[in-house]
Parts: sequence; C-alpha cells; structure tokens
Amino acid sequence: MNIRYFGLEIARQLRDARSLVFTFAVPIVMLLIFGGVYGSQYDHEAHLQWIIVTTVQMGAYGAMMAALAQAFTIVNERSVGWNRQLRITPLSGTGYMITKVASAMAVGLASIIVVILVSIIVLHAHLSVGGWVMAGLGLWIGIIPFSLIAILIAQFAKLQFAQPLFMVTFLGLALLGGLWVPLDILPHWISNVAQVAPSYWLNKLGQMGAGLTGNVGTPALVLGGWTIVLAVLIAWRYRRDSARA
Amino acid sequence: MDRAPAITLAGLSKKFGTLAAVSDVDLTIEPGEVVALLGPNGAGKSTTIDLLLGLAVPTAGSAELFGEDPRRAIVTGRVGAMLQGGALLPTTTVRESVALIHALHKHPLSVDEAMERAGISDLARQKVASLSGGQLQRARFAVAVLSNPDLLILDEPTAAMDVAARHSFWSSMREFTGQGKTVVFATHYLDEADTFADRIVIMNSGRVIADGTPSEVKSVVSGRTLSFTLAAPDETGLDRLPGANGIDIRGSRVSLHSEDSDATLRALLTAFPGATDIEIVSRSMDDAFMALTGSSTSSATTGKGATK
Repeated sequence: MNIRYFGLEIARQLRDARSLVFTFAVPIVMLLIFGGVYGSQYDHEAHLQWIIVTTVQMGAYGAMMAALAQAFTIVNERSVGWNRQLRITPLSGTGYMITKVASAMAVGLASIIVVILVSIIVLHAHLSVGGWVMAGLGLWIGIIPFSLIAILIAQFAKLQFAQPLFMVTFLGLALLGGLWVPLDILPHWISNVAQVAPSYWLNKLGQMGAGLTGNVGTPALVLGGWTIVLAVLIAWRYRRDSARA
Repeated sequence: MDRAPAITLAGLSKKFGTLAAVSDVDLTIEPGEVVALLGPNGAGKSTTIDLLLGLAVPTAGSAELFGEDPRRAIVTGRVGAMLQGGALLPTTTVRESVALIHALHKHPLSVDEAMERAGISDLARQKVASLSGGQLQRARFAVAVLSNPDLLILDEPTAAMDVAARHSFWSSMREFTGQGKTVVFATHYLDEADTFADRIVIMNSGRVIADGTPSEVKSVVSGRTLSFTLAAPDETGLDRLPGANGIDIRGSRVSLHSEDSDATLRALLTAFPGATDIEIVSRSMDDAFMALTGSSTSSATTGKGATK
C-alpha cells in the first residue's frame, strides 16, 4: 500500500463533512439520549453498566456505518470517473481495494474514538483504561468484515442502487446486532438468525472488551468466517470484471 | 532513449458482443511523432485508446508501448493520458486532486510544476466542481503530465473548451512536443488535426482508413473549388468547362470543383464573362474527411463541446 496516498485519502475523507455527519452525529445523538436516560442502570446479562453497554452499541453502530459508507465513496468515485483516472497510475486494482479497506478501518476507528470520548467526557462513564482500550480494539477488529461488505456492495451496485442496497444491509445488520432494540423483545427466530450476523458479534466483542471477560473464540470464528467468505467473493468478482474489460 | 516504437498495435481487435468496435488495426508510432486520431463518433477512437493503454482487453491482436506491456509503461510513468470519462474528485480542490495522483507516481514532477505546465497554477485552491469545462480539461492535463511521460495520449482534449482555451491548451502542448515527446490525440476538430499533427490517422467503423501527413490526407481530394456569382446559372455549359468535375448551385452562387483550376478559370472568364466575385480555394480537411469516411460534415463536427 502506498502510505502517502493512503494518508491523503484519509485526510480527504475525514475532511468531507457531509459523510461524517452520519458517521459521527447519529451515534453520538443516540448515545446522549439513551445514555442520559438509562445510564445509571445495570445490565445483568452483559455484567456491565447500561451506559457502557450503550457506548459499545453506539460505537459499533457508528463504526459499522463508517465502514459500510465506504461503498458510497467507491461508487461515487467510480461514477465521476476518478477510478478511470486511477487506472492510468501505478496503483493496482488490488492496491486500490486494500486502500479502501484501510480507509474504512481508519474512519471506523475515528468514529469509535469519538463515541468513547463523548461517553467519558459528557456522560462521565466509568471504566478502566484497559476496559476502554479493549472495547475500542474489539469493535475496531470487528469491523473488518464490514469494510469488506462495503467493497462488495460497491462492486455490485450501480450509483442508483447503492443507496437502497446500503440501507437494507445497514438496517438489517443494525437490527440483528441488537444495536437499536434488545434482541429479546424481538421474535425468537430473529435472535436465532442474529447468532450468525457479524453485527451481533461485533457488539458482543465490544462488550467482552469492555468487561475484560468472555471467550473471544466464537466472535473470532464468526467474524473470521465472514471475512474469508467476503474476501473470496470480492476476489471472484474482481477477476470476472477484469476478464470482461 | 531506446529504439522501440512508442506505440505498436498489431492486428488489434475488440468486439462488444457482435459489435466490432475495433477491427484489425495495425499501427506503429515512432518516438517524437505528433499524431491525430480522427474519426466520426463511434469510429473506435476511444476503444483503441483504451486498448493501447491496457484498460480494455483486446479480443484479438496486441498493443505495446515502448515494446512492453502497456501496464508496465503506466507503472514506470512513461505514458500519461487524458481519457474520456476520466475525471478528478469534485469535492476536492484542484491541488488536492493533483496531489492524490502525485502520491501514486514513482518519480513525478512536483505538483506545482505540473500545474504550471498546464497553466492552472491560479486554480490550485478552487474546488474541482466549480471549474469550467475548459479549466477541468487543463486540470486533467496537469494530471496527465505529472509523471513527466515520454508519451501522451489525449482523448478529445479540447472538448468543452472555448476558442481562447483551445488556443492556450495547444500552446502548452507545443512546449511539450518541443521536447521531442510523442503525442497521440483523438479529436473531432479537423483544423486541430491539420494544424498540430504531423501525422493523421483516420478511423471509421473500427478500421484505419487513412494514415499520412495532413497534406497527404488532404490530397485524397485533389483539386480546388472555384466559386462565383452568375445571373441565372445553369449546369449545362458550366459542366463542360475544362477540368470541372462537380457543380453545386445555390441561387446565383456556383461552386465548381476542378482538377485544373487554372484552365477552368481561363475558360470560365471567356465563356461566362458575367461571372463575378470569383474565389478559388483548396479542398479542405473537411472535404478529405468526408470523402474518406463517407459521412456528412454535420456528423463529423457534432462533437463540438460534447463528449458523445
């Protein structure tokens, strides 16, 4: 990966205020509302204070959105002809995709940090430094498959379909991950499906990090599985596209 | 400098389904040549450019730049290009977009120098989205010369430019070609091809139908056109003038094509003393183009300001 190009690319994306409103503002507003209302209660299932559970949820929500939104960046760039411009530079197709995955991870990390800082500074959430770091790290590693989903959406979606495809994917994953409403108030079959959803384990991984407890084997297995399947799909689609060019 | 031709196309063909966009094109362009690629819409110019840059895979035949795979010439920065449908990022400033591409090249010019060469230093801080068509083309030219290439490929570089912008664009181009570099440009503007190229390649329906110097291409339509005003002109009589091989009468204005304009003129003055406002002009690039492609002038020039 070309580090200087990646640096400029990240700086550019972080400056692009329009996309960041959704990535940063929505989870922060939700955190302030739910964290403020239920903050002091204790979640006996997660063995964490409700404020921490909400912070992890919103961190997952924002990071997931940041990673998935990379699909828009790619589709837009393709539609204005930027990708065509890049094809007459030394940047390879694989290099381009690696840069985009790295960009998704970088914007996702920024979102996680902002959410955690708001929780600490505004809502006075208490957790050990180790707890915060592990929660953030868990969420960050957990969004790897989401950055791959973004690449896959961008590969398949034309400009006019990117928006609905993103919405369905995002809303579905947010629901299955229990990021909006607790899964136990939803029909039983939804919680069953959720067991294989990457968003569910993203949230769990964040909670495990925050509590410094739990067995990371299952989330590693599910998220790693998603990562491999998505990477194979992307490589397959990429080869087919290049062959047809 | 190596001896390999800048561009070698051999039996190059590209089919989209049953449509043959490019058919069996053989073309060799030597270092230092300035070549215009001319042809009506759909002639296969842009597809040929995509193929020679390796952006599309040929159905048959091969394309090489400097005797190597085109991708290699791109990676080493020996070729720069301004493509149809290629663009900068609308949300960035001109400088940011140029700097992004700059970061990808191995031994590029500085961002400032590339912008200087394209004459857009004063636009550095402007948002790409706010540029006029001509300014955008020049910004794309800055990107094309960033790697300080030996070969420049320009697909309709002056589309969307007004007259003044075209003029200044071609003077920056002259600086570039003055250094002995190779330029291939596709254009709809016949006068641009005539003025700036030392070789013209005309394509139609995916094939090369003419290849030569501007004067060679123009000689396809030899002779001159005499035009004059005559009261109540009639083809009979006029068509028997020596050398005449075509008459077009519009009202009282007569256009007469001739293989030997001197003889035609002498006979005309004797036989038709009433002829006034006599003009004699060489057949133009347009005429040559029409004769070669068999298309009307309108379809050859509708590209003005549009990108298909």
